[in-house]
Formats: sequence, C-alpha cells, structure tokens
Amino acid sequence: MSCTVRIASPLHSYTAGASRVEAHGTTLAQVLSDLEQRFPGIRFRMIDEQDRIRPHMRLFINTEAARDLAAPVRGGDTVHVICALSGG
Amino acid sequence: MTLTAAERARYQRHLSLQEIGAAGQEKLKAARVLIVGAGGLGSPAALYLAAAGCGTLGLVDFDRVDVSNLQRQVLFDSAGLEQLKAEAGRARLAALNPEIRVIAHALELKAANVRALLADYDLIVDGSDRLSTRYLVNDACVLLERPLISAAIHRFEGQLMTYVPGRGPCYRCLFPQASDGVVANCAEAGVLGVLPGVLGTLEATEAIKLITGVGTPLVGRLLTYDALELRFQEFRVERRRDCAVCGEAPTITEPRDQEAQSARAPQDGVRRLTPQALRALLASAAPARAPPLIDVRERWEYDTGHLPDAVNIPMSELPRRIAEIPRAGEPVFICRSGGRSLRACTMALAAGIASPVNLEGGMLAWAVEVDPTMPVA
Repeated sequence: MSCTVRIASPLHSYTAGASRVEAHGTTLAQVLSDLEQRFPGIRFRMIDEQDRIRPHMRLFINTEAARDLAAPVRGGDTVHVICALSGG
Repeated sequence: MTLTAAERARYQRHLSLQEIGAAGQEKLKAARVLIVGAGGLGSPAALYLAAAGCGTLGLVDFDRVDVSNLQRQVLFDSAGLEQLKAEAGRARLAALNPEIRVIAHALELKAANVRALLADYDLIVDGSDRLSTRYLVNDACVLLERPLISAAIHRFEGQLMTYVPGRGPCYRCLFPQASDGVVANCAEAGVLGVLPGVLGTLEATEAIKLITGVGTPLVGRLLTYDALELRFQEFRVERRRDCAVCGEAPTITEPRDQEAQSARAPQDGVRRLTPQALRALLASAAPARAPPLIDVRERWEYDTGHLPDAVNIPMSELPRRIAEIPRAGEPVFICRSGGRSLRACTMALAAGIASPVNLEGGMLAWAVEVDPTMPVA
C-alpha cells in the first residue's frame, strides 16, 4: 500500500530537502518504519522511545489526527507530519 | 460607541459592507487588542488592525529594531534602527491612524506580568518568536477566558489557529509540550520575508471576524500554509480531555514560566537540544565553560566518528563510571539517535546531576543537520 507523506519543514534535512515523499505500509507504524529505512533518524524526531507521538509533533492522516501508531493507512492516503513552529 | 464624521469618512469601505456596517465598525472602535511580538507576524497584523479602526491596540515587545528585521517586519523602516520596537511601532501606527489609541509595552512577558497585562485587553494576537512565550500566552488566555489568535512560521511554512476558551481546543491541546531547544527558530533556519505577511494578515482577518462577529472563525481547525507549493491545508483538532490547562483536571492553574515548569516536572528535568542549538552553544561558550560532552555509544561506534572533546562512557559502563561526569556545567549526553542518551540523562538525574542535556536525534541528526562529513556507525 503506497501513501504520500508530507514532511514538516524542520525535518527536511532528513529527506534531502523533499517536502513530499512516498512510503509503504498499512499502519502509521509501518509507514514510519519505511521512512526510517530510507531516512535514518527521522522517526525518532517524531516518535519517542515509548513509541508515543512526541508532544510537539502532530501526525494527520488526510485531515484527521492520528492518536497512535496503530492508526490505519490506506492506499492513496496522505500522512501529514506537522511540527510546532516557534518563528514569529 | 458611535462613530465621528472623520471616522465615517475613514472607514467608508467597511461601512459599505453589509456584514460590518456601522454596528461592526463601532465594535471595532470599542475593541482592545493586544499584539504579542512586533515582529514578522505582528507587523502586518498591527498595521491592518490599526487601519481597520481597532480602537485600542497594545504592542508587546522588548526588542529593538535590527537591520536584519527589515526584510519582513514591515512596521519598521531604516530610519528606526536601534529604536524599541514597541515605541517605533506605536509611532508608525499612530501616523497611519490617529483615530485609535496605541499602547507600547516594551517589556518581556513573564508569568509575573502576563495576567495584569492581558486583563486590559479583549483579544490577543500572538506573533512571538519563542515557544515559552506561546505557552505562557495560551495559558493566560485560557485562565482569563480571552480569545487567542496564534500563528507561527518557519522557512517557507506557516501555521494558524484561533483559540476561543470554552468553544474549542487551546494551543496545548494542539501541541501539549514543546521547548525552544527542540524546535528551530527563524534566526537559525531562515524565513521567506513575505511569509509572515500572509500569516500575520490572516491573524488580523480572524481578529476582525471575532470582534465583529461575522463569518466562521478558525476554531478547532489548524490551517497550514506552504509558500513553495502555494498550498493551504486544514486539519481538524479536538480539545484534549487531559489538556494540562483547559482539560477536565488541569494541572496549570496559574501562568508559569516554562523554566519553572521544567524544574517541577521530573520527566522534564532533562533539557533537550537540537544539533543546531548544540552547535551554537559550543560555538558561543568559552573553552573553559563549554559543556562536558558524554558520548554513551559503544566504543566502536565512538571510534567511527565523534564530536571533538566528547568523552566516551558506553551505556553498559555508565552506572559504575557516573562519578566521572562533572556535576556542574550541564553535561550533554550523546548517542546514535537520541534514545540511549535520554536513558543516560535519566540515570544522571537519579545520580544527582542537576541539569543533564540530551542531544535530540543523536549523531544521526548531527550528521544531517550540522556536519554531513561526520561518519555515524
């Protein structure tokens, strides 16, 4: 199952500047593992050591918030990785 | 609050709008709006709210105008360099619209003054450049039941949301916790000058809508903007029942400075630094005052590549070697991706080291964000 992942700008350094990448998986956990394979270190910036979404990050599947890594991802979905921004 | 003849002439185009008209313009005249941060976002927000006839405008900023601000902070000009932003902004807004009252607050918002300051205003617009200020303002707005319009920017991206206490989520429901060491700011990352123009103008739009009661505010909806793709997107955000400030059993009942909160919460006794923030810290500290760097990876990982001056104490040896770590100077713990070093920080705390620091994302993040030539095993 292939989905699109839109990456928050503070994490673009992990994806060689790409704001949008393709990934595979039927759950959020699988999608993030797939990303980690290709962009080492990126998962830890979103997920803590207890597999929880970090409190300054939000992951949305299409327009709905994902509460945990078990959230299902369907083919054609877009996963949005959003980070708290501080700039003003 | 009726309009004078001069005001009727000035706001003619608003008066022609059926949705605003004289009644809406009178509400604007009576409104008291506080803009936190006279920067990239605060500049357009303040200019448009002043032009729109918002009767009382407060500007909070303790900084002075720097030449590097002028690429995006359109409230200021080259003649105003080194002036206090709150004062320079007040003069600019008064020149734009002498019918309104502008109050300069050249001070740093803190837990000690935030309640008193916000109490004099009906609505708050946040354009600050620090997460600690964003949380302070959010918490005070929830506690004082003031609507808050908040935007933030980074490089080519922006976010916007409107928080109305009792009607939807607050900023902590969106992001329960974040600290300035974890998230890069504009000075480190850069920002497209026109980007805050878009987001700050949207903040002013939301303020005018809330004051006049027209339209549908951006409550419970996070709006994101990507300037490179010229794409706006919207996400549904719900109130958290366990939110620390607006939830069912709030733990924050008074505004608090973020440093004080961290000291109180054991799990947050660990400071977190991004690779870029660590680089800045190492570059600015005199050699004698540089923080001790403790690399907790295995010896072979350390030998593949490590930061200059980093001392190698593998996790397996840490319990018996923890006395080697200086008690003072906030030691920075480092591993491959940030997991082992966080555990090391927890061990350090338990061993009486007061302020351990974790390198977020570890050497992998350092290699991506700071030094691509750094080999990481």
